[in-house]
Amino acid sequence: MDDLLDPTVLSGLLARSALKDQQAFAELYRRTSSKLLGVALRILRRQDWAEDVLQESFVNIWHHAQDYTQARSAPMTWMTSIVRNRSLDWLRRPREETPDDFELMLDYTSDDRPGPLERLTDSADAKRVARCLEQLEASQRQTIALAFYHGLTHSELAEHLKAPLGTVKTWVRRGLEQLKSCLGTIEPGRR
Amino acid sequence: MRYQNPELRDKLAAEYVLGTLHGLARARFRRLLRYDPALRRTVEDWEARFLPMALATPDVVPPERVWEKIRARIEGPWREPARQGLWQSLSLWRGVAALASVAALALAILLVQGPKTEPPMMIVVMNDKEAQPRIAVSWLPEERGKRMLRVRVMGHQKMEPGTAWELWCLPGGDKPPLSMGLITADGEQVLEVPRNLWPVLDRADGLAMSVEPKGGSPTGLPTGPVLYHGARVTL
Repeated sequence: MDDLLDPTVLSGLLARSALKDQQAFAELYRRTSSKLLGVALRILRRQDWAEDVLQESFVNIWHHAQDYTQARSAPMTWMTSIVRNRSLDWLRRPREETPDDFELMLDYTSDDRPGPLERLTDSADAKRVARCLEQLEASQRQTIALAFYHGLTHSELAEHLKAPLGTVKTWVRRGLEQLKSCLGTIEPGRR
Repeated sequence: MRYQNPELRDKLAAEYVLGTLHGLARARFRRLLRYDPALRRTVEDWEARFLPMALATPDVVPPERVWEKIRARIEGPWREPARQGLWQSLSLWRGVAALASVAALALAILLVQGPKTEPPMMIVVMNDKEAQPRIAVSWLPEERGKRMLRVRVMGHQKMEPGTAWELWCLPGGDKPPLSMGLITADGEQVLEVPRNLWPVLDRADGLAMSVEPKGGSPTGLPTGPVLYHGARVTL
């Protein structure tokens, strides 16, 4: 199967999208939208919200594709960050609706298995991240996974993990520091 | 906050990417990012570290309606003209004013060049984001084994010091843009077309112009903002 997320192909499609080439943009969407909807859904846990965020993200990608040429990131890193940031903003926007299944979501994640961390087997990069996460203390790993995949804030993490806020902040900080030293500097170029 | 402290910068970047930086701190950090390329790179490094984690989620195929909404929100179908006749393609130019200016330009170019152009004449009118025509490019007939493009920069436009304007051919299909070389801000100029680009240019979807560092794009692809673009029209 051809690699839908091949960075060379995606870079070319982004460069053409920057020149307002709609066919290239359609192809970019075809290749990446399923993966990116999965990313949004993981954080938002509601299909309708995730679809809205995906729509906003791609409109944004269309208008800002030329900015990509100035970023050093690989194309999926750039696009995924747009989707993640929009998802986090969406999650924290003031709204009348309450996140309907918040409690449910926490139940669902508390055992975290089979969760996304178990899916870190797709590539050499993924396995490397999995190994580094394994080296964290369980509390650090759980805190980072909850924050990353569910967009929990420090105080939400503290509430969910029944730990003092200061302790949670320390878990996050130490976890990140350790991850960085384990992973080192990643791909300075865009591959 | 002391945003120059490297450890603090790295910590904030990490928490921004992780998602635990929120509320006002997140908004403030985002504002900083706009003006601080080094901080942006720190964030990009964290994004790259976390990418495998972000992608370790099941794919979910979006329903067709999502794409339809996206399509409806992005610009009109400017790419189609190259494959259609003149009138269909002209119908795509937005608004009567734009239409009138294209017609006037085509006429002006015809008058300038005279009737000696027997082969089909091709032009591209490159518009800015407001659909205002800014640069017109016309194909000159082959002379003494050379082919030229006439480039007319409309109005008095200024090139920022230290930058260059690069013209790109958009071959269409899956092909990346090809550099046609640098142009100046002069009103009237000609640009020689390298022989290997002749066939591509004659079938191109259109042209675009981007702002590049002095000397042109270092990568062979547009790296700066694309100011103008337009579809190729056969007259």
